Amino acid sequence: MLPAPFRSLIPLTCALVCALSAAAAQAQAPAAAPPSWQQGRNAEQEKSPLHPFAIEVTGRAAKLLPVDKLKAPAGFKVEVWAEGAPGARSMAQGDKGTVFVGTRQLKDVYAIVDRGGKREVKTLLKGLDSPNGIAFRRGTLYVAERHRITRYDGIENRLDNPPEAKVVVDGLDPQNQPGHFWKFLALGPDGKLYYNVGAPGNIVMPAYFQAAISRVDPRTGVIENYAQGVRNSVGFDWHPQTKQLWFTNHGRDWLGDESPNDTLHVATRKGQHFGYPYCHQGDTLDPEFGKNRDCKEFTPPTLKLGPHIAPIGMRFYTGKMFPAEYQNNIFIAMRGSWNRTIKHGYNVTRVSFDADGKPKMEPFLTGFLTDEKADPPMWGRPNDVMVMRDGSLLVSDDQNGVIYRVSYGTK
Amino acid sequence: MSGNRSAAAMLAAALSFFPPCAAPAAEEVPQKAQACIVCHGPGGNSTDAAMPSLARQPAQFIALQLFMFREGDRKDPQMSPIAASLSNADMNELAAYFSKQKPAAPSHKTAPENAATGRRLTEQHHCVQCHGPALLGLQHIPRLAGQQFAYLRTQLRGFKAKTRADFDGNMTSAAELLSEGDIEILADYLSGLAPLRD
Repeated sequence: MLPAPFRSLIPLTCALVCALSAAAAQAQAPAAAPPSWQQGRNAEQEKSPLHPFAIEVTGRAAKLLPVDKLKAPAGFKVEVWAEGAPGARSMAQGDKGTVFVGTRQLKDVYAIVDRGGKREVKTLLKGLDSPNGIAFRRGTLYVAERHRITRYDGIENRLDNPPEAKVVVDGLDPQNQPGHFWKFLALGPDGKLYYNVGAPGNIVMPAYFQAAISRVDPRTGVIENYAQGVRNSVGFDWHPQTKQLWFTNHGRDWLGDESPNDTLHVATRKGQHFGYPYCHQGDTLDPEFGKNRDCKEFTPPTLKLGPHIAPIGMRFYTGKMFPAEYQNNIFIAMRGSWNRTIKHGYNVTRVSFDADGKPKMEPFLTGFLTDEKADPPMWGRPNDVMVMRDGSLLVSDDQNGVIYRVSYGTK
Repeated sequence: MSGNRSAAAMLAAALSFFPPCAAPAAEEVPQKAQACIVCHGPGGNSTDAAMPSLARQPAQFIALQLFMFREGDRKDPQMSPIAASLSNADMNELAAYFSKQKPAAPSHKTAPENAATGRRLTEQHHCVQCHGPALLGLQHIPRLAGQQFAYLRTQLRGFKAKTRADFDGNMTSAAELLSEGDIEILADYLSGLAPLRD
């Protein structure tokens, strides 16, 4: 038996050896990268329960949803226009009235046609790579996937037998990595296709073609960067009179409940820089990338929309159905916050302008939010808005695969 | 989380008020679920280590997996043909049914030497970040606690090998740095956990 002083060393030695071997085991097994949506968290946020919400990929029947909770201003009517379009996001209307709908988490593009007052949802295209972007002009449907933009000519004559895709431009997703690479797509007044390539993460230095809105001429395939420093815009439109590009933008996550705001912007010309990753909401330097920068370098937003509120689709109202004061107002689908303790958004917001052009925002279509502190806090999420030719407003809900119609003056 | 807990409490209160509802009779199993329980066990409680339990898995998770089988993202000689014939409404109905079934106590016993290491691995590799601190799952994220041992091991191996379809890429990245030994310990640890909150 060892003398007492040595015996007392045994547990100490064991503890030391155990600690060392545990440390060795830790060193041998490096931790995996955290989920990509957690990128940019600080030490205090490591145990945060906040997380993004997934859509119902199988959709939900409208009769199971509390649609009667939806509320629009007096005189407006809200109804279910179509269902059975899981993951429904961006919308575009064809010359003959077909409503084309893109998806992000699914691989489908839908064509919705009116059959005597009832809507029939056809799965038009299958097996695409996040076909979020949808645009239509002169008989041709354009679709933006992660990696390419394609065209389908004469599509409305061939809804049951769509033609093969013709490539407008390919190679838009060279790294195939996690990031904001699903695309919004719209045709500008110049006849070019505008699309976004978002940032490759929450808060990271983007490559030259990322965190940008670009445009491609469908006749030549030539690409130009149009706007820089745009973290992720998945909704834009052109002002009916000035013809300038307006767009929504998602601010970074993990900078607290109240910061930064998601934003509404106007690009008055090609080549402006809107701040990402250096400056957020026009006045807040990023704690990491903002060092040695000045927000004055960048074009500020026109309007702060609310922190983490997730503005997606936006359209100017140019229809004839709503009251005159709605003319050239903007409707924005706020998909709703996840990176915030108290959830907000989950509505369609109206932006109007006073005589000096100063914007003012107010909720237009509400009722998707059920409990701002619950997980999940909502039963549905507005994703895109589109003005129909009759002046009514369609609102897609990707959570449930349902499209609602807001009309005025109807009974 | 607290919303789910209070909903569960309300459900429990409702069930105790209407005792006949508490134990559904065998004939109440929906017709569509009859084929499922042949392999996944009565009430979705599997007794086969290679076959996953469905009881109290979140409904959104079950529907998502059926969808991935039907769309061909996940492939399995038994599940693929079954899912091929299911509509979205069928999937939602099956998901709702199995999500409400009470999970059985785990038959698997975690090796004592793996308990602490297993817990450490769930934190080191961010399992608890999405699956929750008690690994009970939420929304489209599955319950791991009390899931079958061999099934968990097969899935983790599949994610590591990038052969198991992944809805959002998070599992592929989480499994990337797991060693075969880590996978063995994780599966042993997770399958021995209680499938319900105390």
